[in-house]
Amino acid sequence: MDNKRPSSSYFQAVLAVAWKDLAAELRSRELLSAMLVFALLVILIFNFSLELDKEARENVTAGVLWTTFAFAGTLGLNRSMAVEKDRGCLDGLLLAPVDRSAIYFGKAISNLAFMLLVEIIVLPVYSILYTSVSTMRLFTPAFLGVTLLGSIGYVAVGTLLASMAVQSRTRDVMLPILLFPVIVPVLVASVQASRAILQALEMSEVMAWVNLLIVYDVIFIALAFMVFDYVVEE
Amino acid sequence: MSSQPRTLQILNFVSGLLLAAAAWMSLGYAPTERVMGAVQRVFYFHVATAWVGMLGFIVAAVAGVIFLVTGNLKWDKIGLAAVEISLAFFFIAIVLGSIWARPIWGTWWTWEPRLTTAAILEMVYLAYLLLRQGVEDPERRARFGAVYTLLGGISVPVTFVSIRLFRTIHPVVIMGGNPNAQGGFSMETSMLQTMLFCIFAFSVIFVTLFWHRLRLGDLAEKVEQLKLKLIQ
Amino acid sequence: MEPTPNTLNYMLSGYTIFAVVFFGYIISLISRWKNLRAEEKMLDEMEKNSSSNSTASPL
Repeated sequence: MDNKRPSSSYFQAVLAVAWKDLAAELRSRELLSAMLVFALLVILIFNFSLELDKEARENVTAGVLWTTFAFAGTLGLNRSMAVEKDRGCLDGLLLAPVDRSAIYFGKAISNLAFMLLVEIIVLPVYSILYTSVSTMRLFTPAFLGVTLLGSIGYVAVGTLLASMAVQSRTRDVMLPILLFPVIVPVLVASVQASRAILQALEMSEVMAWVNLLIVYDVIFIALAFMVFDYVVEE
Repeated sequence: MSSQPRTLQILNFVSGLLLAAAAWMSLGYAPTERVMGAVQRVFYFHVATAWVGMLGFIVAAVAGVIFLVTGNLKWDKIGLAAVEISLAFFFIAIVLGSIWARPIWGTWWTWEPRLTTAAILEMVYLAYLLLRQGVEDPERRARFGAVYTLLGGISVPVTFVSIRLFRTIHPVVIMGGNPNAQGGFSMETSMLQTMLFCIFAFSVIFVTLFWHRLRLGDLAEKVEQLKLKLIQ
Repeated sequence: MEPTPNTLNYMLSGYTIFAVVFFGYIISLISRWKNLRAEEKMLDEMEKNSSSNSTASPL
């Protein structure tokens, strides 16, 4: 055990943290079912509140989907961090002899996994409810790629902010208030790129947004990595 | 602790004078603009308060970083003061911008990059203040504040860029007019002088208010420490 | 050339809002200061009382 290189034990720590959450969720499936039910409810509400004809709906698909993901994502982030705090796992993790940022990456990976799982289920459901030429493009690599990039940005910032929110008095309410103003570039870029893909617009337009997403993701993952220590200090 | 330092007293006086002078210049000295009429006069205060807001924004972000690096709580007080003042001034700037736009564009609000980014910035500030309210421990409160200021400090410019990009692709067409119309007008010399003077005046006012807010922060800290001591 | 539109009302509401927010903030600073000073005085008195109590006879 002692002759393992430090970098591999860091990596192991990250995976251990991620796996802890994923395994727990596999057993109980509480979080995922909550997120899924919520996401589907949001889509239903949109259906009834926006009386749209076919054409209008085409325009609105990307926005509806991302709003759904953003709200369901909040649920996931909140629950994921709250569990740590309540069961005192966070303190246990903090005692481990590994760089604190490993906890961040582990949490972020499991949060990302949950979000992607929800998205993978919501997308087919949406395309069944509203079948059309454009919803066929929901399953193109381009669209899925954009969804992945956006989710990464969302979760990178969300995990960091959730760690703060869960330590404040107004816990659950705090996260959306903190998250949404800061996540606007992700939402704008993801929605616009998705829309461009669904409407089969020029690739150059899509790429402009994808570049923005990539820049955001890189900046904020780096930022979260540097700053996470300050958020879980005791 | 109670009496203000001499320099501050002088600043108070000077700021008051400068404010009066700025008002006189905006309302009287500067000529009435031909196309927009009287409402254009809010432009001078709009630019000046937006400028002060920007100053506060930068100070807050920098103070946050310095706090995280040094751990010295004085930087937290500086950051808080900067956020509060910037919140107030950007609010004024947004409202004045909206009022200025209304007679020209026929709408109170338009989702153009600067206005939208300013609105989002205000929300970041409010979130910052709410976050602080929810954390009791002063040291943790300062840390969280600094982290969030840093996140906001970086995300807001990125937000501006993303909305700019959006507007380049989907320009706003206002009343069927020129999509690039931003209420531009040609500035005479006296208008330029007025604008620059207002920016100068409000910079001084910013420093004065900032100093006052810092003193308030010092007093608040002293009171909090007294409370903690007595409870033991 | 079109006549200059009368936008005086807009201008006045703009400057009014400026005044309300600007002076409102200053007033908030002043009132918060006053409240804190009052609290400080009260806490100082409490501290004096408790220390004078403890320097009284320990019996």
